[in-house]
Amino acid sequence: MTEPVRGGAAERAADSFFEDAHWEGVTRVCRGTSCQLAGAEGVIEARATLGDCRPVHCLGYCDRSPVALLADGRVATGDRAARAEPELADAALPDVRWLTKEPVVTARVAMGCHSPITRALDAGVWSTLPQFLARGPEAILAELVRSGERGRGGAGFATAVKWRACAAAEGEEKFVVANGDEGDPGSFVDRVLMQHDPHAVLEGLALCAFAVGARSGIVYVRGEYPAAAAALERAIEEARDHELLGPAVCGTDFGFDVRVVRGRGSYVCGEETALLNCVEGRRGEVRLRPPYPVTRGLHGRPTVVNNVETLVNVPAILSRGAGAWRALGTRASPGTKALCLNAGFARPGILEVGFGTRLRDVLEDAGAEGIEAVLMGGPLGSVVFEEDWDLPLCYAELAERGIHLGHGGLVALPADTDWREFVIRALDFARRESCGRCAPCRLGTERAFQAMQEPGDPREELEAIFEAMRHTSLCAFGQLIPGPLESVIQRHETRIFGP
Amino acid sequence: MIEPPTEAATIDGRSIVPEPGETILAAARRLGIEIPSLCAGPEQRPAPEWRPEGGCRLCTVEVTGVERPMAACHTALAPGSEVRTRSERIQSVRREILRLHLSSYPRLHVAPETLLGRLLAEHGLDAPERPLLRDRLDESAPYLRFDPDLCIVCRRCVHACSEVEGQDVFDVAERGASVRLICGEDDLLAHSDCTSCGACVSRCPTGALFDRDRDPLAFEPATSRTESVCGYCGVGCRVAVESHEDRVLRIGGVEDAEVNRGHLCAKGRYAHAWQHSPDRLDRPLLRRDGRLEPASWEEALDFVATRLSRIRDEHGADALGVFTSSRSTNEAAYLLQRMFRAQLGSNHVDCCARVCHSSTALALQQTTGTGAASASYVDVDRASCIVLAGSNATEAHPVIGARIKQAVRRGADLIVIDPREIELAGWAEHHLALRPGTNVALLNAIARVLVEEGLCQKDFVDQRCEGFDALYEFLARSSLEEAAEITHVRVAAIQAAARRIGAGDPVLFVHGLGLSELVQGTASVMALTNLGMLTGSIGVPGAGMLPLRGQNNVQGNADMGGMPDQITGHQALADEDARARAERLWGSAPPLEAGKTIPEMLDAAREGSMRALWIQGEDVAQSDPDETHVLEALDALDLLVVQEMFPTETAARAHVVLPAAGYLEQDGTFINGERRIQRVRRAVAPPGEARPDWEVAQEVAQRLGANRRFEDPAEVWDEIAEVAPRLFGGVSYARLEGDGIQWPCPEPDHPGTSTVHADGFIRGKGALVCVDHEPSPEHGVEEHPWLLVTGRVLHQYNVGTMTRRTPQQELEPEDRLEIHPGDARRLGIEEGDRVRVTSRWGTTEVPADVSHRVPHGVLFLSFHQPGSHTNRVVGPHLDPASHCPQYKATAVTIEPV
Repeated sequence: MTEPVRGGAAERAADSFFEDAHWEGVTRVCRGTSCQLAGAEGVIEARATLGDCRPVHCLGYCDRSPVALLADGRVATGDRAARAEPELADAALPDVRWLTKEPVVTARVAMGCHSPITRALDAGVWSTLPQFLARGPEAILAELVRSGERGRGGAGFATAVKWRACAAAEGEEKFVVANGDEGDPGSFVDRVLMQHDPHAVLEGLALCAFAVGARSGIVYVRGEYPAAAAALERAIEEARDHELLGPAVCGTDFGFDVRVVRGRGSYVCGEETALLNCVEGRRGEVRLRPPYPVTRGLHGRPTVVNNVETLVNVPAILSRGAGAWRALGTRASPGTKALCLNAGFARPGILEVGFGTRLRDVLEDAGAEGIEAVLMGGPLGSVVFEEDWDLPLCYAELAERGIHLGHGGLVALPADTDWREFVIRALDFARRESCGRCAPCRLGTERAFQAMQEPGDPREELEAIFEAMRHTSLCAFGQLIPGPLESVIQRHETRIFGP
Repeated sequence: MIEPPTEAATIDGRSIVPEPGETILAAARRLGIEIPSLCAGPEQRPAPEWRPEGGCRLCTVEVTGVERPMAACHTALAPGSEVRTRSERIQSVRREILRLHLSSYPRLHVAPETLLGRLLAEHGLDAPERPLLRDRLDESAPYLRFDPDLCIVCRRCVHACSEVEGQDVFDVAERGASVRLICGEDDLLAHSDCTSCGACVSRCPTGALFDRDRDPLAFEPATSRTESVCGYCGVGCRVAVESHEDRVLRIGGVEDAEVNRGHLCAKGRYAHAWQHSPDRLDRPLLRRDGRLEPASWEEALDFVATRLSRIRDEHGADALGVFTSSRSTNEAAYLLQRMFRAQLGSNHVDCCARVCHSSTALALQQTTGTGAASASYVDVDRASCIVLAGSNATEAHPVIGARIKQAVRRGADLIVIDPREIELAGWAEHHLALRPGTNVALLNAIARVLVEEGLCQKDFVDQRCEGFDALYEFLARSSLEEAAEITHVRVAAIQAAARRIGAGDPVLFVHGLGLSELVQGTASVMALTNLGMLTGSIGVPGAGMLPLRGQNNVQGNADMGGMPDQITGHQALADEDARARAERLWGSAPPLEAGKTIPEMLDAAREGSMRALWIQGEDVAQSDPDETHVLEALDALDLLVVQEMFPTETAARAHVVLPAAGYLEQDGTFINGERRIQRVRRAVAPPGEARPDWEVAQEVAQRLGANRRFEDPAEVWDEIAEVAPRLFGGVSYARLEGDGIQWPCPEPDHPGTSTVHADGFIRGKGALVCVDHEPSPEHGVEEHPWLLVTGRVLHQYNVGTMTRRTPQQELEPEDRLEIHPGDARRLGIEEGDRVRVTSRWGTTEVPADVSHRVPHGVLFLSFHQPGSHTNRVVGPHLDPASHCPQYKATAVTIEPV
């Protein structure tokens, strides 16, 4: 058991950490990379004259940038984002396509919203769980091992290894958590899944709980995704009514229930230990690892934290069988990946591809004319220039070139991109979102941002700061922030710093 | 279970076998390789509760085969790995991190003596030339100052406060580069839960948290550093006293000390201003024409010796008595009792243990064979279950209180038995808030549950104890319902606590004056010891009996023979071998008949049979119960000799006042509550003509024809070891460097004893005792329906002679009567109102503190301020066996003034 939060300062410490503390009744304008490139600053300026407005990093509608989330929960996209009384964009799904033999994770959302349980059940959601409740936890774990499934959140860790470790961990009480903190600007597939296919998320979570021996689960949803949180809460109610959640799931003696926890505004909380701290009411800072959450997670109990897309994959893997799943991807990266294409492409939306698909094929499908590079995997990802477009999308081969697929968000960077502005905006994001726990990240991001504004040539200083951040930062945030910026600086040194 | 690795790793080419789970940082420290860090505390031997922060990243090192550099503070040293702590790459990123601190905190002034200053210099960076602005200081608290300009948010203070002191005063607000240190509810230390322990100050790498009595611009050069022992409570923390020209600059904890591991409380660290208080007694005083006037030492000593001899000649040795001091050294107490027993022929020797733990000592002596703690402080760390009975440890013994919190944080279960909602009750699994004076009923009820539900350790009881059958029958005659009615603790609560106590693992019983200072004090401790035996806890590491002793040397004072029925080493007066040794060493054996206890001596003084009293370092006029009676007794004496540092109420009544040296001003030894003999060393000179107590006792003894003159305290100790070989035979000053030795230590090659009774009870068989609850004479007094408990508060120490002369007085300026809010409302009493408290024995007026800490019908009052006259109200009842007074339950009435 982790110790209770004690002392008068602890609550203030946690409250002051999060952006969302006092955001009731405020319009949020997206300042994510995609919206930035689509003129977010103009929207912010226009909105500021209309009343309270706060910029946030990504609302998850990158296919329709720029975008504003009104205080009443409605979304205004594109030209309408800046208007006083926008004619509202419909809550339509993004365009969903695929470059794979068969779509898996997007199979349902491609056909429209499956939020109501009747539609979900008709589409086969919740049909895998009863089969595997009968076959036992080991059947799930064994099939998952065979599938070679890797977590889709960015790190690509083997899902079965995580689940087995948690199943083996000692502890009366265990937890499973769906990580719906899709913070990477440029990614929005998790929002779409949570909002339009919430039962699939819950079924994946229930299978996970059954496999590891947990009786309670949490779906952690970013504060910037209120509609997704509401959809999940509705889905949980429906699932309880159908005895798919509750003290006797599907009439068995397996009891499992889920609650939604809303994020409070912090990019770093997408990291699993920071997320757990947030759920516990603490500052959303990363924890030192080991111990890992599978042995000491939420409230010190063994916990599995999985990304939403990963969990939606699980019932699909189990129902198809590992062999069919593996046939969709490469040997080292089996299955498919949902890529998000932002509004900078001719055909934005979600594109599900089999692992191993060439990036160039993706970009051709998306329509990449006039595009110089893509930002892949958000601010901790990579800027991929054309010489790397023939690489296959899979963890291992990208990693060899130092490229991170991350969560699979692709933001088009046109040939006329203001690269200096790009760097400054990325550093502004980094300094605002750094959790502050480790010195190189919290001091380095701020100092690098300041150095870019000051007269004089900051190149030497930036190099030293990035070196320190990359080598010594506590978590992936500080370690990976320098990567895309260095590649941009290397390519466009004179455009950024002058001749 | 992790197998201990045997394969070595190397750090900078030096080989080391890592301990299980050992970090690279810890292993490097073991090798004496310093890896720089701003966030890892100075702990030489990381306590189990110490968690790395991992925030400064300066400790990053290269590990061969691992591409990324690793943080040494939270990376385990893998067997077979090669670690390089100072490669070029590493040094360059460290320099950059340090540089970032300088560019990120524009108001940061770096003093070269600070850790940050040293690290800058080591990495070839110049401290920026910036003024120390000091315009945003938090100086709300008397000892600690916070300067946000100097804070680099390393969070050492956050860890120290939380993990060492258990207070959680600090945290961090905001995020990213905006993070800043916050404290309490409103960022003022004075409004927070800060105990002024100074653990944060001792770890701050920049001077952002700093002692207010020091100037951060001028790190004064300490010209001497003396390791000694704290002179306040009986925990016996080791201190390092830094001084310059006979003035104390600062006191810190000794980092690797077994007792306190570098930790201290506010009193130990900061409360040393008494040392140069203007009203220190600095020359002898003699009463002439009714007034105390300065005299020379010769005059004073001659006067004392002559008058003592004359009174003995006229009235017999029975007319002479002495209270040896529990604040002074063993050597001082030993010589004084030696003189009274051998030169004057009186066994009327007693000490203040009489009025605190005499019941505990007697009960433990009778049931186990040794009247002292069976366990040690280290057992707090090892224990899985701790019962805290009648002890408010976080206030009266703060360093042990903090250690109990650490144990709870690690997962130990805590059970608190106390009428009040003391701080540790908030940390406890079970709090049994019993009615004052009903310990025996409650403890017997717990024993009954153990016996009835088969929760006893039968093997232990069968093999090591006696009296189980009788106890079984005795307990069977009582009922839990009866106990609940007597103690006001619900049956279910008794059962729940008992079931935890009887869960099977051995239990550590930490106990205090809430058990012993009652008419049923001895009975209470015996009933607790029953639990210790039934659960198989005594003589077992991580368990046993651990009474927390009040004064720095109250254990030692009794050990030295400051008792009427025992000579040095707890040897009975009738013990032929002991008598022979005393006769040989002292020149004559003590009288055979036991002398009088303190209350008996005071009674005798009032009646006129006791004519002369020598009181060494004790203000009985304020500390002893039934104040009126005490003053009458003192006033009736023909001769009152007082050795004191200050003009106390007791000294004011003396015929001779002999100015004494304090604990910072003399050499010798103290024995703490875990039987640990530690060296006390003179750090500064006593003021004026004040002299160490042992010297004064020796001077008078010489005038009375003593057989021997001692050159120094070490010679005195050698004789102590010879007189009492069973406890001290193997102890000499040469062996008392560092952490000293825990008695018994009979031979020079004996390591000392951490767990007593490990090979069976010293008594032979441990005695299970049938003691029945008896209503206190203060229970059910119709016209006085309230029960008053007296005791101590955190920031004062006993009668406040020392603490009232330090800034502690600002932290705790008055004694206040705790009263439950419901009771207060009914009587129309509001916070701060003056209240008259009246018992059948006396009355006093004090301000009220309306508080949920006390239950309905119970009041609590401390006795630190002379003006409070708390002990006028406390009555004359004594435990019939130990003669310990009943401070913990007095029937009173209260009314608003």
